[in-house]
Amino acid sequence: MDKTHTLTLLRKMIGEDKDFRPGQWEAIEAVASKKQRTLVVQRTGWGKSLVYFLATKLLREQGSGPTVLISPLLSLMRNQIEMAGRIGIRAFTINSANKEEWAAIEDALSRDECDLMLISPERLNNEHFLKEVLPQISGRIGLFVVDEAHCISDWGHDFRPDYRRIVRIVQMLPRGIPVLGTTATANDRVVKDVQAQLGPGLTVHRGSLARESLRLQNIRLANQSERLAWLAENLPKFKGSGIIYCLTVADIERVTGWLKQKGFSAEAYHAGGNGTMDRPALEQAFLNNEIKILVATVALGMGFDKPDIDFVIHFQRPGSVVAYYQQVGRAGRAVEKSYGILLSGNEDDQIQNYFIESAFPSIDVTKDLLKVLENSEGLSLYEILSRVNISKSTAEKVLKLLEVDGIVGQTWDNKVLYFRTPNPWRPDVERVNRVLDLRRSELAQMQEFVDHQGCLMKFLLEALDDPNPVPCGRCANCQGKGFPASVSHELVIEAENYLKGTQVLIQPRKQWPVGLFPDQKRNIPLELQNAPGRSLCYYGDAGWGKLVQSGKYQEGHFSNELVKAAAHLIRDMWQPNPFPGWVTAIPSTRHPKLVAEFARRLADSLQIPFYPVIDRIREAPEQKTMQNSSKQAHNVINTIQIVQTISHEPVLLVDDIIDSGWTLTMAGYLLKKQGGGQVYPFTLARATSRNANG
Amino acid sequence: MTLSPDSQTLLLLCSHLGLSSASEYAPMTLKNWNPLAKKLLSISKRPADLLELDKEELKYLLEITEEEAERIAHLLQRSGTVAIELERLNSLGIDVLTRADADYPLRYKQRLKEAAPTILFYAGEKDLLGQPGIAVVGSRHLDEAGQACAEFVGNACGLSGLVLYSGGAKGVDSISMNAALTSRGTAVGILADSLEKSIRNPENRDAIYRGDLCLVTPYSPNAPFSVGTAMGRNKLIYTLADYAIVVASDAEKGGTWAGATEALKSKWIPVFVLDHPDMPEGNKMLLQKGALQFPHPFPEYHQELKSWLDKHIAEIKSDLSQLSLF
Repeated sequence: MDKTHTLTLLRKMIGEDKDFRPGQWEAIEAVASKKQRTLVVQRTGWGKSLVYFLATKLLREQGSGPTVLISPLLSLMRNQIEMAGRIGIRAFTINSANKEEWAAIEDALSRDECDLMLISPERLNNEHFLKEVLPQISGRIGLFVVDEAHCISDWGHDFRPDYRRIVRIVQMLPRGIPVLGTTATANDRVVKDVQAQLGPGLTVHRGSLARESLRLQNIRLANQSERLAWLAENLPKFKGSGIIYCLTVADIERVTGWLKQKGFSAEAYHAGGNGTMDRPALEQAFLNNEIKILVATVALGMGFDKPDIDFVIHFQRPGSVVAYYQQVGRAGRAVEKSYGILLSGNEDDQIQNYFIESAFPSIDVTKDLLKVLENSEGLSLYEILSRVNISKSTAEKVLKLLEVDGIVGQTWDNKVLYFRTPNPWRPDVERVNRVLDLRRSELAQMQEFVDHQGCLMKFLLEALDDPNPVPCGRCANCQGKGFPASVSHELVIEAENYLKGTQVLIQPRKQWPVGLFPDQKRNIPLELQNAPGRSLCYYGDAGWGKLVQSGKYQEGHFSNELVKAAAHLIRDMWQPNPFPGWVTAIPSTRHPKLVAEFARRLADSLQIPFYPVIDRIREAPEQKTMQNSSKQAHNVINTIQIVQTISHEPVLLVDDIIDSGWTLTMAGYLLKKQGGGQVYPFTLARATSRNANG
Repeated sequence: MTLSPDSQTLLLLCSHLGLSSASEYAPMTLKNWNPLAKKLLSISKRPADLLELDKEELKYLLEITEEEAERIAHLLQRSGTVAIELERLNSLGIDVLTRADADYPLRYKQRLKEAAPTILFYAGEKDLLGQPGIAVVGSRHLDEAGQACAEFVGNACGLSGLVLYSGGAKGVDSISMNAALTSRGTAVGILADSLEKSIRNPENRDAIYRGDLCLVTPYSPNAPFSVGTAMGRNKLIYTLADYAIVVASDAEKGGTWAGATEALKSKWIPVFVLDHPDMPEGNKMLLQKGALQFPHPFPEYHQELKSWLDKHIAEIKSDLSQLSLF
């Protein structure tokens, strides 16, 4: 194989003055010439995509079939595809978002005019793809690329169930088809595991993971208000653009709101918000430097390639060193100096422990779900949810795991139906415990990292089993200086007020859950829906959240401070129009006085009357024990009633914590049915645990 | 499950897996494959040896035309896509047996010779294929006597440790199969279509899970029903069993008639026909063609069925030489 020819191609792609980086040619040769199964472990930005593009080109020149590239994040590879186009590589991607292009792509495939096909791991279980698209590759696969190959391993920080399917496929691939796995984050244990799973013939190409432009610094600031203040004070010191990573969607919204208030060009980026967020547009605007700061969850992660990111700041601490290395590695690919600042606070451990505890569905939950499936030929997700008391996201997670293990299959009959396969199910308790232990030890290592006094980069490299970890000479610890760890008192106070002043919107429910009323339409008539409402805060969070928590469970009484804050929010910030003429409250037999007494004081403060017109017929289990919409609505529907004739004026409907929203929806529905006016729901807090991640 | 290289080659050459419906190359039929298999044997090669060869080499080695070589080369290139398809089938609980596998049912090779299907897709306990047992066949629509008979034979199989073989369709097939399974016996369903769908049925799934049932088909796991495939699999029911009982047949038409006359002619196994005063016309005619009488109601206990059948069979001399091709 001709190295000079390959170099010419490389220069055509990335520039005439460029050369192979150490290891690139060796990897290309292993795949394209020796047809070896190869695992490339190199830092982000080293140029793994060059390896598979050039290998594809060479293989195609030899007459091989197209490359199949499996990657978890395809939308982010647009620039790379463009780059590959410069040497005539025709790359296509098939995903659920580009259905209108499928026919043209299938056509190109059938004429052998596709050189590289990018797909997500999920595609490999898609019937249309398997039956219609894949066969068009004239049957022949020239090269099989597994991007982010560490996802194969349980030991990886980001194990993905879909990758188990990839492993089985690679094991079945004939030896003649070269396989290339790539990753930037695999320690020895992960490499060994990947090797064991993909077969002993796997050769490993490993390079140094050190990032030479990156300056690391770790700063502990216990409270969110201090960290918000730190951001406001220090962000102006960075010239270019950057990412701020948070652990939860609520935190992202809070940080973004604060930064906008302080005049920064910042946008939120996450997978929540009912999929309304236009993530590709945000990515593009960020790539074009139209947005200076992207505040993101890990949803902005693997595969995102912006070469001129000046800083990555973690508002909260990630769960493992590997995850941190990968996220901070987004910075400084093509800039001389870049910064990785790890802020860490009091809430970090609590959130991380929650992630660990909820990582695996319990065996009982899985058993319940399987029992339901075993009695049918196939059920939709909603049919499953109406039969099992688990959350939608848990159900999806369990189904996904069962599916890759061949315990559950999917079929299509106007909607997706899940069915039980005849394959036996054996819960792998040992594996789950092993992974949980691993996660806890990763967390401990990360806690150690925050307080590490030596070179921070060296700490990361050692944790990643880099072949040659040496002190970087650039991090705050090596240099003995960095950004200040203290913040101005005035800014902290301002941030505190901001946190207390954030209002949380309550969106009215527009539909009853499926299966609640068999004989009724699912839509709630517009005239019987609630108006949009407000919550004072997120339960348990910085700001008012802690006060609500102690009021409900320790003091049995909500403080006057909360009454004042609620009245302030309603009267001065929310200002519902027409303004409510009276207040009522959702009663609870468990805490008979708690909410009513708070609502009465709130009514006094707003100078409108309080009428307790709602009654509980019987006590239902706490709403938070109901895990999905269908179960929650069932739980609520027959437990409340209106016991008095009511005023026709608009009403403020008060509860302490909103969880599913069904109680408020039902109460509002009944109030309006009895001739009530507009219903404005208000709660002290919104529960957060269910959508902590995302 | 990992396939042997020989089996993998057969799958590439003779199955639709990973082949586009619009492909100009069709997989090989038995008629295409058998001469090729003979050729390979004669030059002391195995199917897997083909994987290494390009078009020119194939043409030279197998002494075939340019076109044939191109077709074979094209079919053999699909190994990557077939691997992916096979993975999906495995995850649904479906596996593959080919004529090159040691586990392939011996009875097919002995009785069908070159007509033994190259590939079988199955779900469940494959060791049941070819265990001593009774084939029950008949139309979907049954009179009372037919229903009672189907149920009786199913129960009898369950109680005496015989495998109940059937086509896995509605009517006779499912009645007798359920009877066998509910009396804690075992059954094999040889399907003409929809294997993928059949294993979603809770009763089938539970029986497969227990190891009491094997559903098998020579056709694609998601093949739709067709008269052709239904006709084609008839002989696969008879040739796995030791005895056949025809419960009800139309006269000179329909799948049951075609299968039963084929079985009588081929003399694979003794063929009994349900004999009672109101029997369908087809039953009478099959008796005239030499089928044996199976009385209704059956005069003895369930457990006596096998010895009764053995006592009443006419001598059948069949050629048990075994197909030696892949």
